Amino acid sequence: MAASSEEVLLVVKKVRQKKQDGTLYLMAERIAWGPEGKDRFTVSHLYADIRCQKISPDGKAKIQLQLVLHTGESTTFHFANENSALRDRDAAKDLLQQLLPKFKKKANKELEEKNRMLQEDPVLFQLYKDLVVSQVISAEEFWANRLSMNSVNHSTSNNKQEVGISAAFLADIRPQTDGCNGLRYNLTSDIIESIFRTYPAVKQKYAENVPHNLTEKEFWTRFFQSHYFHRDRISTGLQDLFSECAKQDEKGLKSMVGQGVKNPLVDLQSLEDKALDEGYGTAATPSTSNSNRTVKENSNSAIIKRFNHHSAMVLAAGLRKHGWFSFHDLGDWYFPVGAIEYEDLQQEDGLKTVSLNLKKSDRYSHGPVPIQTQHYTTSQDIINSVILVQHEMANYKPCLTQVMSSTMASSAIVALSPGGVLMQAGTQQAINQMVPSEVQSELKHLYTAAGELLRHFWSCFPVNTPFLEEKLTGHLEEMLQTAYNKFHAWQTRRMMRKT
Amino acid sequence: MLVYFPYDYIYPEQYSYMQELKRTLDAKGHGVLEMPSGTGKTISLLSLIVAYQRAYPLEVTKLIYCSRTVPEIEKVVEELRKLMEFYAKETGETNKLLALALSSRKNLCVHPEVSSLRFGKEVDGKCHSLTASYIRAQRHSNPSQPICHFFEILHANIVVYSYHYLLDPKIADLVSKELAKKSVVVFDEAHNIDNVCIDSMSVNLTRRTLDRSQANVETLQNTIQRIKEIDAAKLKEEYRRLVEGLKEANVARETDIYLSNPVLPDEILQEAVPGSIRTAEHFVGFMKRLLEYLKSRLRVQHVVQESSPQFLKDIYEKVCIDRKPLRFCAERLRSLLRTLEITDIADFSPITLISHFATLVSTYSKGFTIIIEPFEDKTPTIANPVLHFSCMDPSIAIKPVFERFQSVIITSGTLSPLDIYPRILDFRPVTMSSFTMTLARTCLCPLIVGRGNDQVAISSKFETREDFAVIRNYGNLLLELSGIVPDGIVAFFTSYIYMENIVASWYEQGILENIQRNKLIFIETPDAAETSMALEKYQEACENGRGAILLSVARGKVSEGIDFVHHYGRAVIMFGVPYVYTQSRILKARLEYLRDQFQIRENDFLTFDAMRHAAQCVGRAIRGKTDYGLMIFADKRYARADKRGKLPRWIQEHISDGSLNLTIDETVQLSKHFLRQMAQPFRREDQLGLSLLTLDQLQSEETLQRIAQIAQQV
Repeated sequence: MAASSEEVLLVVKKVRQKKQDGTLYLMAERIAWGPEGKDRFTVSHLYADIRCQKISPDGKAKIQLQLVLHTGESTTFHFANENSALRDRDAAKDLLQQLLPKFKKKANKELEEKNRMLQEDPVLFQLYKDLVVSQVISAEEFWANRLSMNSVNHSTSNNKQEVGISAAFLADIRPQTDGCNGLRYNLTSDIIESIFRTYPAVKQKYAENVPHNLTEKEFWTRFFQSHYFHRDRISTGLQDLFSECAKQDEKGLKSMVGQGVKNPLVDLQSLEDKALDEGYGTAATPSTSNSNRTVKENSNSAIIKRFNHHSAMVLAAGLRKHGWFSFHDLGDWYFPVGAIEYEDLQQEDGLKTVSLNLKKSDRYSHGPVPIQTQHYTTSQDIINSVILVQHEMANYKPCLTQVMSSTMASSAIVALSPGGVLMQAGTQQAINQMVPSEVQSELKHLYTAAGELLRHFWSCFPVNTPFLEEKLTGHLEEMLQTAYNKFHAWQTRRMMRKT
Repeated sequence: MLVYFPYDYIYPEQYSYMQELKRTLDAKGHGVLEMPSGTGKTISLLSLIVAYQRAYPLEVTKLIYCSRTVPEIEKVVEELRKLMEFYAKETGETNKLLALALSSRKNLCVHPEVSSLRFGKEVDGKCHSLTASYIRAQRHSNPSQPICHFFEILHANIVVYSYHYLLDPKIADLVSKELAKKSVVVFDEAHNIDNVCIDSMSVNLTRRTLDRSQANVETLQNTIQRIKEIDAAKLKEEYRRLVEGLKEANVARETDIYLSNPVLPDEILQEAVPGSIRTAEHFVGFMKRLLEYLKSRLRVQHVVQESSPQFLKDIYEKVCIDRKPLRFCAERLRSLLRTLEITDIADFSPITLISHFATLVSTYSKGFTIIIEPFEDKTPTIANPVLHFSCMDPSIAIKPVFERFQSVIITSGTLSPLDIYPRILDFRPVTMSSFTMTLARTCLCPLIVGRGNDQVAISSKFETREDFAVIRNYGNLLLELSGIVPDGIVAFFTSYIYMENIVASWYEQGILENIQRNKLIFIETPDAAETSMALEKYQEACENGRGAILLSVARGKVSEGIDFVHHYGRAVIMFGVPYVYTQSRILKARLEYLRDQFQIRENDFLTFDAMRHAAQCVGRAIRGKTDYGLMIFADKRYARADKRGKLPRWIQEHISDGSLNLTIDETVQLSKHFLRQMAQPFRREDQLGLSLLTLDQLQSEETLQRIAQIAQQV
């Protein structure tokens, strides 16, 4: 067997891959599989490359584990040991479950970054295709240069906007009937995370109970059975695992209420300048006994309470930062400034609103659009140029000492008007008509690719490290040669076609 | 007359409003003015009246500005501050006006120890124990004790406070009675003023109140006993004072210093306190008898309704209590409490309540009714007897105000139909005007949804409100709108119980879950603190772009006091017509009274009342001309002329025939179109000249002509 110095965490025998028996190894940084009797790994994946793992549903004949890679490929392992297949698979799954998240973050970030850059910038994407896919330079080299360059402007986007939680995440767990009087809930890790973030009490329960007292599955089964999940049920027994959670929620809600509100405009308690004492007024006195409320009414008000709490928790899980009102200090009391201002009656614009920080504003306004290779102008560019022109126009000062005489000016206008001397058969028109657009775009791609290579070339100067020297003398020359060859090939192809 | 207006621009309707206001002041009469919310009523009022005060200092000496809620009062003070700053800047002189805002001790008290208490009553009690007259006397000799400034200032040019301080006789007597006759009184947000009047004159007695009063009486007896042993002279002195009677008060009223107290009618002032309750012991005995009688009345098994004379006759027959001593009850108790130097007034509130009841019931033979209910309607098995002594005539409480002050202005965003207020409050206004909102773009979009997509009529009327299809259609409406309206949506239901039921069935049907995909849901609860929290979270959710829905109740606290400016409320949905609960006996009695006395038909009043609340609810979302919002009336009954015609003019004129009786789909289409249009940038230049005027434009002839059309005289 392959003697590696890596720490082997788990070995599972009798695992089939592509109908071949073999052994699965889980090591510190990668997962590997070797066929029986051979001492090399035919399959080996770094954990960082794995996007997720999938398992075959319980009760299926084949007990399988599938690894999906970031590249989209997948590898399926079939656990074939008759006695302990399920146990083996679960052991592997659990170990992977612990290991994957550790690597996930690191890998994801880089990959996402690259992916994002490619998606954002169609020119870069084309370049990537021209240079990397056609193997002029290696992907690492391509990125090495890019990432460092872009790190500056991405430091801003690195403190990325945290994604909030969908308010309806519980509704997204649609129970499906499985035909024999049972319900199946499909839980994804996203939903679990949402539950944990929204209800810290459940997370705590999970941490307390899960590997020791209950399996994960049991835990979630109980969760869905509990009144806690069903908001209209009123807590009944103490044996319920989640009754404590409900109590904790109640407490949380109470403390939230107890804190009161900061904005005096929404504080209903101090809203009224209440002068009527108890006993005055026509409004009926609130009934003193709550016991005469029916069960239905109680459950209704429980629903309302839960909804308020749920919304508050979801909101709290998202980020909370900004406030509409700027509280200015007026001695000891605060009064929201925004409340009394008539912004349109005043000269200056008062309030600053929170702006949505969109990285791809085009996609926001146009919706998802397939990335196209042709050149396009972002709306930001257009806006910028319009602003620029406006600015120019605003600052335009006629220089009256250097104006032309009116006759000259009018003759120039005539010459430039359609049909004038200078407007006949403009050169632009000629090129547009002469060269078909595909040729133009191909040429443009070659040009940008060459430009990129030249950038690589020039970035090597001054040559002060051995690495740069090697890059310069070694493969860069080669690359330029390749590029030239490519161009040459294209040229001859074009010529051939023409003739 | 030169009016300083502290902004660079002015709305045409503000100008028009000021003109009407000036006309009212010139005529020294009362006025009813309706102007949409968010068009700057307050600042128009303030700047005109302050200018008037400066121009004719002898005609108008004081402005009394009454508003409803604490934030409203604070807003007025802020606006006033702004105006004052502007005056100082423009005229260069430091202003001579003294403005004063009054609120309950809870909000204003500067005493560090007292202000930390949260509940109004505790604060009052504590404050009283620190500031009662005899303690103040001590304090003069001991300057180290902190002084509450409340008592030091009462002569201000502008007074801002809550309605109750003028309308509630119990407070008005303390706070407002010395206000000069040549004052202008403004009731802002006055659409509910009749209810405030009625509330301030009505009393509810429960068995608990009586029990606690019993305890009070015992305490009184003990205290009297003790004082008698120590300081009999004090009681004698009181007796002497009572013999002299209320002469002083009478002199004061005749010389026109005081605002008359409706609880203290003129006849009382002519007479001295009757002998039977003049000594402290006799009075205590008298109160005991009264309490016993009331207790026996609460032991009834069936509902009793009777008028004040019937009650008086009965009490005379049963326990031989005459009408006359009853009338002096409140006055006598106050005097006794003062004499006994009881500081903790809060403890004696039950007995005070009883004494007020006694005085009121014996003073007014008309306009009041007594209803004794042995149990609540919903729970006929549980005995919970309540004696409602209910005022049915709002004009009783407000009469002294109209009589005393030369100009009373009643104003609000929703006062339609204008003519009903003078009728129920029994006064003759010199001006009654409704102003529209001049708009450069139609920023409000009232839509009346009458049918669901399945063509089932939607309505909250009693017969169909529990109908499954109606509830589902309401849910669909909310769901569809939650998908297209940005930021905040506020939905109002007709009552809390109805909302609870609908929420429960929406939950069962999964509608709420679907709504949650679009927005967070917050729901008003009967608990004020909980609702405040929900409101704050709601605003937070609108703030961070997530968007939220607030389910709330018309006539609730939210609908009355909370504004949903800009993105806090891009759409308001009114589910149903918010009729008051008509089965209540108190309401029935009041309706009867209105019909007999003022010739207002029951249905007219009920519709008026429902529509003013609906208008209040939908008006919550539009708080200015830069604001915009959908107003969705989800009930087919709104399409009827008698309902629609009772909406304020500024809403009514935007309801076209095309927006009546829509289906949900049509509503969604219209809303989409509206929202898309409104989302375009809106600049000052668009408004200028149309709905926003500069000084130059204001002086042009053409604009003045246009402005003249804004006000609609009624």
